[in-house]
Amino acid sequence: MDEQDKHPGEEVKRLQRCINDLVSLLALPALWSGGDASRIARTLMDVLQRLLQLDLIYVQINDPTSDAPVELARLAQFPVTSLQAREIGAELHGLLGDDSQKWPSRSQRCFRDKNISITPQRLGLEGEIGMVVLGSERSDFPKQTEELLLGVAANQAVMALHEARRRSEQKRLADELDLRVVQRTAELAAAGEQLKLQVGLLDLIPVATWTIRPDGTPDFINQKWLEYTGQSVDYVLSEPQAWIAAVHPDDREVALTSYWEGIRYGRDFAVETRFRRVQDGTYRWHLNRAVALRDAEGKIIKFVGTSTDIEDLKQSQETLRGTEAELAKMTRVMTVGQLTASIAHEVNQPLSGIITNAGTCLRMLDADPPNIAGARETARRTIRDGNRASEVIARLRALFSRRQATTEPVDLNEAAKEVVALLLSKLQRDGVILRCELADDLPLVAGDRVQLQQVIMNLLQNGSDAMIGLEDRSRRMLIQTERDETDQVRLNVQDSGIGLNPQTANRLFDAFYTTKDGGMGIGLSISQWIVENHQGRIWAQANDGPGATFSFSIPSGGRMASQLNSVRNPAASNSRANLKDF
Amino acid sequence: MDKHSLVSVVDDDESVRESLPDLLKEFGFAVQSFKSGEEFLASRYLDQTKCVILDIAMPGMSGFDVQRELTGRNRPIPVVFITAQRDENVWSNRLRDNAVACLLKPFSDTDLLHAIRTALRME
Repeated sequence: MDEQDKHPGEEVKRLQRCINDLVSLLALPALWSGGDASRIARTLMDVLQRLLQLDLIYVQINDPTSDAPVELARLAQFPVTSLQAREIGAELHGLLGDDSQKWPSRSQRCFRDKNISITPQRLGLEGEIGMVVLGSERSDFPKQTEELLLGVAANQAVMALHEARRRSEQKRLADELDLRVVQRTAELAAAGEQLKLQVGLLDLIPVATWTIRPDGTPDFINQKWLEYTGQSVDYVLSEPQAWIAAVHPDDREVALTSYWEGIRYGRDFAVETRFRRVQDGTYRWHLNRAVALRDAEGKIIKFVGTSTDIEDLKQSQETLRGTEAELAKMTRVMTVGQLTASIAHEVNQPLSGIITNAGTCLRMLDADPPNIAGARETARRTIRDGNRASEVIARLRALFSRRQATTEPVDLNEAAKEVVALLLSKLQRDGVILRCELADDLPLVAGDRVQLQQVIMNLLQNGSDAMIGLEDRSRRMLIQTERDETDQVRLNVQDSGIGLNPQTANRLFDAFYTTKDGGMGIGLSISQWIVENHQGRIWAQANDGPGATFSFSIPSGGRMASQLNSVRNPAASNSRANLKDF
Repeated sequence: MDKHSLVSVVDDDESVRESLPDLLKEFGFAVQSFKSGEEFLASRYLDQTKCVILDIAMPGMSGFDVQRELTGRNRPIPVVFITAQRDENVWSNRLRDNAVACLLKPFSDTDLLHAIRTALRME
């Protein structure tokens, strides 16, 4: 090559060739415009190979979207596979050092058993685009003109790669934009569908629905309401109060008051009114409710409301009220019936003795000779039984003298004893053995004695009923009073009956819930009502053994009760009720 | 009718056990009284009893239980029930087998005598 320097003609030719090459290089952009990085790299290699007759070309182009760069290579003008290109890249790193930035601008290395001159060219100022490595077996490689051509080619490639990168970025952005537009369009379409559905729903739901502007003018009213009232949309929206024409004349004032107060003060409102149904001209009760919708600042956007037909509900409420009254009456009748039977028994027992004794007495006197001593004895017994009957009557009168609920100091022991006395014969008839354990120091409670006695009677009867049909063990029942830790007075009724079903235990106190044939299921519910009216509570629990214990507790005292506690007769409570006293 | 037939009285109420035997003795019957069905069934007078006056409502064995037991032991002693309970459903369908009558307390001496006479005729 130095010969070129020696012959000026050669030199001119060389320079001419170089200029031709440069011209062809400057035409490159037309060749690779629009291409991607790999295509640009391949074109670059083609051009360099054609211009410089190289033994090794290695191109590495960094891919901003990936860690692995694009690697291409040619060995003795033959393209190699990408895997081989990567191996060549690795070998070059082995020959020239790990950091390609520090590779010498030219060097001689033994590459695959051949000595070659290697010159790297960075693509981009800092090599950020990638690099081109050229190798030739010629020891004078690269000559000055070759370096020039390489530099220009590399610059052209950099521009093309920049362009490609920009284009790809643009495309990526455009694609992303497209994607977003598609997504948004889909979302909008879905939202539009949803909105249409909601508006459709508002129109179709079986409840009259409406919205009102903050000034009180309706701006939407659904189909249901229009159909019901026979009004047209135009009519309803014509003036704020047009809807009032559908309201029963008697309800208009309350409806308008509630409506305008809600609008004026910006609050939710609810009012019951009768609306006229256009089909048959009947008025049906509706519950109208509106809620105020507010924006972020709390300003009212509009009111959204519904009018629900509650006529059937109202009717059933009325029916229920009637049924409840009927039931309460039945309960009273039943209770009176039971009491009457008990009273009859209590009175008839001594009457029986009186009549038998009197009859015996007369017969003894009529005898010949008259049995005076016997007659005297039977007359004495007659008087005793008469007194006994009179005591029973006095006790009953004490028990039922008050019909109104009253608050008085109540000795729960005494109250319990009286109930036990009334029920005793029934309990005996049912084969129930009742034991009484009444606490000595029981404080008085403030309450209605008759009501509390109804509770006790109910618990005793339930306990007895729970043991009906019990054959394998004795029908034992225990009634107990005690004062608990919190100064409550407690009464327990323990039976040995069928016990509680855990699955239904929580329903025991529900009205109309019963496990008994012929039971009405109101006894415990009424008992609960009474006890809770005494600020007490009533509960049931299963026994350790068979049966259940029902208890209620009531706060002791009340001022009146505690005053009386201090002065009452200590003999009033016995630790055990002597049942035969009754 | 044997004037001295044994009539047994079973009632947990003491006043009945006091008054009724005196009246029955005035009628001319021999009388034994018992305070429970169990006591009556266990007594040696059971075999001699020609008529038993049974209270229905008693602790332990009820009058019906005693009647059932007598039937079960094949000792159909005629029974006159007495009760202070007015509930007809309780006893109306029990008047069968050896039961003669059910007297509601208080009952008259003539009704009682009539019932016992019916019972003794039956025996």
